[in-house]
Amino acid sequence: MSPILQGLITIIVGVGGCVGYFFASNWILDKVIFPARNDDHGRNVNRATMVRPWLFLFPAIFALGLYLVYPVIGSFYRSLFNRAGDEFIGLGNYTTMFGEEGFRTAFFNNMLWVLFVPAAATFFGLLVAQLTDKLKWGNIAKSLIFMPMAISFVGASLIWKFVYANDPDIGIINAVRDSMGLDPVDVLQLPFWNNFFIMFILVWIQTGFAMVILSAALRGIPEETVEAAIIDGANPFQVFFKIKVPQIMGTIVVVWTTITILTLKVFDIVYAMTGGNFDTEILPSYMMDFMFRDDGRATAVAFVIMIIVLPVMIWNIRQARKEMN
Amino acid sequence: MTDLALSPPLSRPWGRLALRWLLFTLLGVFALFYLMPLFVMVTTSLKSLEEIRTGSLIAFPREVTFEAWKTAWSGACTGIQCEGLRPYFWNSVVLAIPAVLISTFVGAMNGYVIAQWRFRGANLIFSLLLFGCFIPFQVVLLPMARMLGILGLAGSIPGLIFVHVIYGIGFTTLFFRNYYVTIPSELVKAAKVDGAGFFRIFWSIFLPLSLPIVVVTVIWQFTQIWNDFLFGVSFSQAGTQPVTVALNNIVNSTTGVKEYNVDMAAAIIAALPTLIVYVVAGKYFIRGLTAGSVKG
Repeated sequence: MSPILQGLITIIVGVGGCVGYFFASNWILDKVIFPARNDDHGRNVNRATMVRPWLFLFPAIFALGLYLVYPVIGSFYRSLFNRAGDEFIGLGNYTTMFGEEGFRTAFFNNMLWVLFVPAAATFFGLLVAQLTDKLKWGNIAKSLIFMPMAISFVGASLIWKFVYANDPDIGIINAVRDSMGLDPVDVLQLPFWNNFFIMFILVWIQTGFAMVILSAALRGIPEETVEAAIIDGANPFQVFFKIKVPQIMGTIVVVWTTITILTLKVFDIVYAMTGGNFDTEILPSYMMDFMFRDDGRATAVAFVIMIIVLPVMIWNIRQARKEMN
Repeated sequence: MTDLALSPPLSRPWGRLALRWLLFTLLGVFALFYLMPLFVMVTTSLKSLEEIRTGSLIAFPREVTFEAWKTAWSGACTGIQCEGLRPYFWNSVVLAIPAVLISTFVGAMNGYVIAQWRFRGANLIFSLLLFGCFIPFQVVLLPMARMLGILGLAGSIPGLIFVHVIYGIGFTTLFFRNYYVTIPSELVKAAKVDGAGFFRIFWSIFLPLSLPIVVVTVIWQFTQIWNDFLFGVSFSQAGTQPVTVALNNIVNSTTGVKEYNVDMAAAIIAALPTLIVYVVAGKYFIRGLTAGSVKG
């Protein structure tokens, strides 16, 4: 079957199925279960109104329940079993894992990522947002800096793979070193610092995101506060750090936490850059080493990731709910 | 009066000038830093391998050739197969379009229900949706793989569509919900008084107003699904892999001579659809990404 035909069928079945469900369930509710006629007219209309939202949300609740709640519990349950999944070993996977060099490296590197990436991306984003503020061609600069957001993590990693390439014909870093008469160096194999070279890719991608949101926040600052500070003789640095930054602190924190959550999930970059070699493993890529080979271990790693993300996630969800209500 | 009041900073023109130059230099360095990789990628993809070997990395190509693009599209090797990116590119197209449409549609329905039909338990669902937006997908990988196996969708494109729809619903619902709460409830009440039903209200009041949010949602979903790697690498098999997975295989395959120009052309081809969307509809693109992060 041609892929286009297959795609068309999927669209028709999928969208048609959804529309069909919504229409049919609505029709049954109105005409069969609670018909708006006879003596019960009013009561039936009210009942139907009460049931209806649930009917319409059912697919989403069902899906989220089945594919969100169940997997989380299911994953935890699976992590208590051995590799083959036929023997209950309690927290065995966790204790073996914690005692392992590889896991500790991944955990340590992950902490580096969480400390460095959100901080650097937010900082650069804020810097660019401030520098381009009220600049005529600032919007062009901003749209270019935002561009990496459109590229997949794998694509972005491959671009940087070339920047870091050992070969001075192709790697920018080594081309520069070459022109200075230095020997080429494979930055992805430099102990410890290679982590930062990989992290920088995510910073490169996420700066645009931080910049756009912080730029909007900077625009929202009332002009009078800035003018008043200038009249009082504040220099540009004082205006920025003492007047502007405190006023957008809330946004800065949201940007920071959002990037933190993302940072904890990203595995594509390490996977594409080093495959976790040269001590660059982080937890999500460490997990993929065990995926479909030792599922007990893989789910245990997934759970560690989950536990690390959870506090930030809860904070962010509460913030979002406050915002929306 | 105002001129007088603002005079202190203006009275130091040298300081201002120096600051201005500092600002421009800083921005220049930034632009270089952020754009150099993209620039090198495009120029290298247009060079021949011999020209790359001459070590003129940052120069424009002396002779523009699209050979590398052709090879990347239809001849580059992903492991043992040498069909280029083309089949995988189509996989991604066939995968992304239905997944985007279905998740957007379900999101619109759900967003409408949550925003305008107040009912008990809405808050719980709301939290659940946000949870779905932020959860590290690593946690759901293995149970999902088993589920796809049970449904008979393991390793297939419909299976991937299914996964993307499920995990897209959280975001699409929130997008529509946040948009629909801004529609005045008086409008809905008036329509109800006039006897309009649930669907009628959605169809005649909400849908005509929805164009901007539909565009934002479609772009967001498309970018997410097109750029996805984790689900692609976990739930596909040879032949059903999306373009991101194939790209990684092409560049990281170790056989033969490293054809840098082909690799770079492949990276551009794989990024092209989302880049085009960004160039054509940048405003909506940015709005989607920022809305997706939950504004502060």
